Amino acid sequence: MTIEAVARPIGLAKPRLRKKTAENTGLNSAAGHVVMVLLSLVCLLPVYWMVATSLRPANATFETSLWPTSMSLDNYVYALNSIPIVRMLINTVVISSVVTVVQLFTGLLAAYAFARWRFRFDKLVYTAIALTWLVPFQVVMIPNYLLVAKMGLLDSVVALILPHFASALAVMLLAQSMRGFPKEVIEAARMDGARSWRILWEVLVPNLRGTIASLAILIFISTWNEYFWPLLLSRTPENSVIQIGIQMFMTSEGTAWGPLMAASTMASLPILIIYVVLQRQVVQSFMKSGIR
Amino acid sequence: MNRKSFLNGAIALLATGLSTAAMAQAIPATVDQPVTITFYNYNLASAGIGAEATKKLISEFMAANPNVTVVGVPYASADASRIQADLAAGQPVDLVQTVFSDLDFAVTNFGAQALEDIVPADELAAHFEGMSPNGLKLGVLNGKTYGLAYTFSTPVLFYNADIFKAAGLDPDQPPTTWEAVKADGMIIKEKTGAQAFSAGITGPGAADWLFQGVVRSNNGEVISRDRKTLEFAEPASVEAVSMLRDLVDSGVYENLDMNGTLESMAAGNLAMYLQTSALQGALIAGSTDKYELRSSTMPSFGDKPVRPNNSGSALTIHTKDPLKQRAAWELMKFLTSKHGYTVITSEIGYLPLRTDIVDDPAYLGDWVKAHPLVQPNLKQLAVLEPWDPMPGPNYRQIVKTMMDGVEMAVFGGADVAETLKAAQEQAQALMP
Amino acid sequence: MSEARLPLKTARPARRRSGASGISPWLYLAPAIITLVVWIYWPLVDAFRLSFYEWNMLPTSEPVAVGWSNYTKIFGLPKFWQAIRNTVLYVVGLLPLAVLIPLAIAIYTHDLPARSRNLYRAIIFVPMIIAPVVAAAVWRWLLDPGHGLVNVVIKTFGFDPVKFLSDPKVAIWTVIAITGWKLIGFSTLILSAANANINPSLIEAARMDGASKWEVIRDIRLPLLSASILFLVMMTILLGAQWSFTYINVLTGGGPLGSTTNIYHLLWDFGFSNMSVGWSSASAVILFLGFGVLAFFLFRLTDRYSFHDN
Repeated sequence: MTIEAVARPIGLAKPRLRKKTAENTGLNSAAGHVVMVLLSLVCLLPVYWMVATSLRPANATFETSLWPTSMSLDNYVYALNSIPIVRMLINTVVISSVVTVVQLFTGLLAAYAFARWRFRFDKLVYTAIALTWLVPFQVVMIPNYLLVAKMGLLDSVVALILPHFASALAVMLLAQSMRGFPKEVIEAARMDGARSWRILWEVLVPNLRGTIASLAILIFISTWNEYFWPLLLSRTPENSVIQIGIQMFMTSEGTAWGPLMAASTMASLPILIIYVVLQRQVVQSFMKSGIR
Repeated sequence: MNRKSFLNGAIALLATGLSTAAMAQAIPATVDQPVTITFYNYNLASAGIGAEATKKLISEFMAANPNVTVVGVPYASADASRIQADLAAGQPVDLVQTVFSDLDFAVTNFGAQALEDIVPADELAAHFEGMSPNGLKLGVLNGKTYGLAYTFSTPVLFYNADIFKAAGLDPDQPPTTWEAVKADGMIIKEKTGAQAFSAGITGPGAADWLFQGVVRSNNGEVISRDRKTLEFAEPASVEAVSMLRDLVDSGVYENLDMNGTLESMAAGNLAMYLQTSALQGALIAGSTDKYELRSSTMPSFGDKPVRPNNSGSALTIHTKDPLKQRAAWELMKFLTSKHGYTVITSEIGYLPLRTDIVDDPAYLGDWVKAHPLVQPNLKQLAVLEPWDPMPGPNYRQIVKTMMDGVEMAVFGGADVAETLKAAQEQAQALMP
Repeated sequence: MSEARLPLKTARPARRRSGASGISPWLYLAPAIITLVVWIYWPLVDAFRLSFYEWNMLPTSEPVAVGWSNYTKIFGLPKFWQAIRNTVLYVVGLLPLAVLIPLAIAIYTHDLPARSRNLYRAIIFVPMIIAPVVAAAVWRWLLDPGHGLVNVVIKTFGFDPVKFLSDPKVAIWTVIAITGWKLIGFSTLILSAANANINPSLIEAARMDGASKWEVIRDIRLPLLSASILFLVMMTILLGAQWSFTYINVLTGGGPLGSTTNIYHLLWDFGFSNMSVGWSSASAVILFLGFGVLAFFLFRLTDRYSFHDN
């Protein structure tokens, strides 16, 4: 009960905001719309171009007509035949999902430690975690590769997941939003005899849904888009991810544009569909999240 | 040299001779038991004809040699880090498709084996028969054959015959000298407004192979024959770079990035393009039904002979296990056989090391007739010179420093002689 | 695993919020710390050591101690200072795209009807979900001087085609624009979220006092958004060089004439591409210390100047 009461004030703001929009009319907002429409076009054009190019027949790849004059699925057939795209997509979905869940889990635990307790070296540990953000991946890439080799995990999907078991971003964002959480609520739960483990999962987590959801989206997208680590690890296409598949069409002997765009479309499609379906929730979760 | 050290040297020589002889005997005559070898191959790292043809050759080989299992490992040719990381991790690296500029590093650090040391001399001689002597030299380092040229090509001048016609030039008379490139380029610019000329000499991803050929054609060298001193700031080289600079200043030489140039040529916006013949496939794909693509040999400096060198890769054996060495050698023989080069040339688009299959209708005969674009490439095989690898652990940094200097001198408006001199001093400091 | 053990530690009457908390926080931290130490800190510490050696990592060779020579080699690179300058340019160029424009969009769209507001924000987010490699490929295609759509449009207006990626004066701005294109959506969402969470009664009160729209923005919204703005500014300064990396790598390779290389790409080019451990480790140390020091000062600055609303 207490928790809902806390969450309410943010919700209360809504009706008032609506009223205000009525005042906003006229030239000013028309100009604003023009700017926003232009910006939207800039954001969408490359995506559209990717799809349009993928549908052009091979000898029309270099055409610049906005709408393909003739359509063909040849590029898709070619792309599907030359690399195991479906298998790569499945791998990527599995890896991204596992990484998202695990990273959220370790992030929640660590963030909770910082939000709940004062302990020796807590600031130092927090800083150390934050600093990992500044370590370029290329620095740790080769040592990590050797470690993975030692574990006998070369050419396996597990190796793509392991180094991502925790991230500074998850810990920091969750810690920040947990700190913003009313301490009285935690205190009240504690008074009721709740143990720390239960407070985390039953009190904090349900109330941080917005942050968790938006963080999940960020982690999922960045894992989906990861490139350098899989590039170093990939041996057999069957154990590799879709970004590597895409990259296979860009060679030193020229780029196979049509198939590249077809593969890119197939790689982006799942994530675009998820996004279109969940678009409202994605935007909303960011609105409510502590990422700010 | 005093007597004692001479004696020591002789003994040492004898000892190495003996040990190599011992090694040569240690490799079994056949693969008589099941064995698995890895084949690090960069064609496998991309999708398309290169990978398909490679997979096809590997499976044909395995069918013919049931005892040998070949595991193809893709790696990016732009950096050898996969091979290095795998060696550091103790993974078996048996046969490698090595880029020529990496050859020195592959020998000194990756343990590439000289073929003379592991393969019986008569067997080696029998296999080398029919191969282009110049082609065989490409993989020789310090007097021994470490690599066998595998997927390699020469620089050719691709040109757009339609633009030549539109400019009033005779497409049957492509420029053969740099002076002619400039003259024709000026006419093309003036009459058609098309981009006149570009080359894959400088820029990211260009490496230094084409530059070496340009300098050599002016009778210069980028590195001394004993491979101890860099010479790309010597007068002959400065003159060659100044010529390129003049092409830029006159507006003939377009500064485009590598992919941009390739696509400009493929799309028909560029008149002349000096680049590896390996790009032929991509250019043909773009030109089909649009314009007439032709090719010619690399331009020369006046009447000095053209001295083109190769780009591409050699096959190197790295394993120390005699049985695997035999298996790797068998695969190497298969890939560089008449049949192997037929596939490599006709399906991937590289050059055949075996010149005798070019006219043989059982192999490349018909294909060569149907593909006139490959002619200048074959012609240059007769005068081909090696792409010198830079020595020492900093070889890649040396190449980068040199090529940065060249790019600055050609396109950056900097003083040619001074820029090259500064770059040479910097790079020389990185030499072993 | 922790479920079984944790209750023992926390079962005591929990009165003391702070103070001696025992082992509990460490148990909660363990998974994250172990991961980060194994995969990031251990290699980093090793890099410090190896930056004083020359070694190719192969089991057949021994590391050779070379003192500071790896560092002097890196600082002596002809392009080093150019790369530093470019790094600053990247940050300066990214700031408007990653902070200013999103800020304007966030404030502007806030007053729009819910439907168009959500639509705009959703569309602006799209570039973020496109893979960097794909984004780079499509942009290179669109910007090609010969057949790229953008230049086709420029040509129909009678202008000369722009060599977006091969003109040394233009290329860096092209890469910056593409990096910014990817980022705009993310920043907009963060700022919109912060903006939406401003207590409307504050705005209402200001209006009652007769504040104009601009005054509301200047005196109330901007100060209250300052924490988010500073956060984004800091991210841009610290990570801008990393964000552009993929685009530099795929689009220009640092060229033409080194005009698009930044410190991150330069060190990658010389240090990591052939796994000379000395070069790459020294590069790593320089990057980490450089940005670490920068981060330290930035944190100090934000602490001092950020405006806290609670």
